[in-house]
Amino acid sequence: MNKITRAFISVLRQSSSTCTSSTLLGRQLSYKSDLSLDKIYPSARLQLYTPPPPPPGSANKFNGYIPMDKLEITYSRSSGPGGQHVNTVNTKVDVRFKLAEAQWIPEETRQKLLKVLANKITKEGYYYVKSDVSRSQQLNLADALEKLRTVIRAQEVEVAAPSEETLERVRRRQERAARERLQLKRGRAQVKADRQGPGGVDF
Amino acid sequence: MAHLRETSDKALKLLRTLPRVQIGNLRPNPNSKQNDKRGRAQHGGDKHGAGNKGSGQRQNFMRLGYETGNQPFYMRFPYEPYYKGHHMKRQYPPISLLQLQVLIDTNRIDVSQPVDISTLCNSGLLNLKPAEMEYGFQLTDEGLDNFKAKINIEVQHANEAVIAAIERNGGVIRTAYYDPRSLHMLSNAKKWFEKGVPIPNRMMPPQDALDYYTDAKNRGYLANPEEISKDRLVLAQKYGYQLPRIEDDPSFAMLSAAKDPRQVFYGLEPGWLINVVDKTIVRRKK
Repeated sequence: MNKITRAFISVLRQSSSTCTSSTLLGRQLSYKSDLSLDKIYPSARLQLYTPPPPPPGSANKFNGYIPMDKLEITYSRSSGPGGQHVNTVNTKVDVRFKLAEAQWIPEETRQKLLKVLANKITKEGYYYVKSDVSRSQQLNLADALEKLRTVIRAQEVEVAAPSEETLERVRRRQERAARERLQLKRGRAQVKADRQGPGGVDF
Repeated sequence: MAHLRETSDKALKLLRTLPRVQIGNLRPNPNSKQNDKRGRAQHGGDKHGAGNKGSGQRQNFMRLGYETGNQPFYMRFPYEPYYKGHHMKRQYPPISLLQLQVLIDTNRIDVSQPVDISTLCNSGLLNLKPAEMEYGFQLTDEGLDNFKAKINIEVQHANEAVIAAIERNGGVIRTAYYDPRSLHMLSNAKKWFEKGVPIPNRMMPPQDALDYYTDAKNRGYLANPEEISKDRLVLAQKYGYQLPRIEDDPSFAMLSAAKDPRQVFYGLEPGWLINVVDKTIVRRKK
């Protein structure tokens, strides 16, 4: 097929001498039938383009975008069974970055993360995520990034404060538990006291 | 090999360690002796091996499978459509990314042009049999990590990881439907052109395939191109690579070249008649 196209192009080239093959190809690939994409999607941008990174979300929320050049990604060999593949192929992925300097995480969330992950950050200030869940390096990288996004989003979830009814119920429960504990305690004390026999009281 | 001994050596080795052969140590070879007990007299005879009373002795057995009245197992399932319509289901013979990389590295496929079914079949290494319900090729994710080629490829099915692998290297992948007649044309284009029939239109996919080919996530040929561009970034973020700026690529024109939904061959419109002998194209006057 592509040889036919090339032959066709060379035939046309004999007739038009100034055009280059790429423009010819472009012209020939612009056949538009009744069901061409510009008729199905009249208002869409038909040419392939690279969209810019999305702006940070509203209310200072993490929008899920992670700039890849800000992460340090290293590959190593995974553990576990797997024969020659696990012994020789670097399928384990280590994704790390300096949490305090990560401008792509909104300020508020970053501060929360620094507090929550304080015990997990290395001496140099790196937070890292590792993954060796699958046999493929690329799938492990996807998994590591998913884990990272989950950790970040967990900090943005607003935990609802307990309602007054709940608080009331909890208070009643605590009081009941204290009452019962003291009852048992008094009961035990009485049993112990009764074992001593009567005191020196003269009725 | 040295560690395998002759049977005689093994036997001699055994003889050295085993106790002396005596009548009490002997045993016949397994299955060499048959029980010659006849069905007569005190221990061999009496009931003909049929036991006491019951349906066993009276030779009045219930039929095989009978479950004393309830619906027997062999009658519970009136219909077992395990393979119903399997012969009519669409099949997509797989090509792994590893195979594709090897084809590219050994110059079996020219990646300076868009790759489609006819390119793959013309290499001579892959064959499509449309008559056997093969509706095109699917790309599988074996060899995903080592795929390094930048190509514009059109297949009939590809999963997300495969799409990511191709876009990571700056390539373009599209999934497109071809009806059996178009597949027949593409699988051996020269033979078909020699028939002297004008190129027909490509047909639209059937209902159950339409959802797949109109979805931008699958890079369907009927999907919104703007959605596809956006999904490229989403996929790049999911799989952790920097999306290469395809507009700045010197071969952008080749990479973004796409067939019209009604077109079967690149560069050839439906209605054209290809004359292979004279190397000309005959088309209707406008």
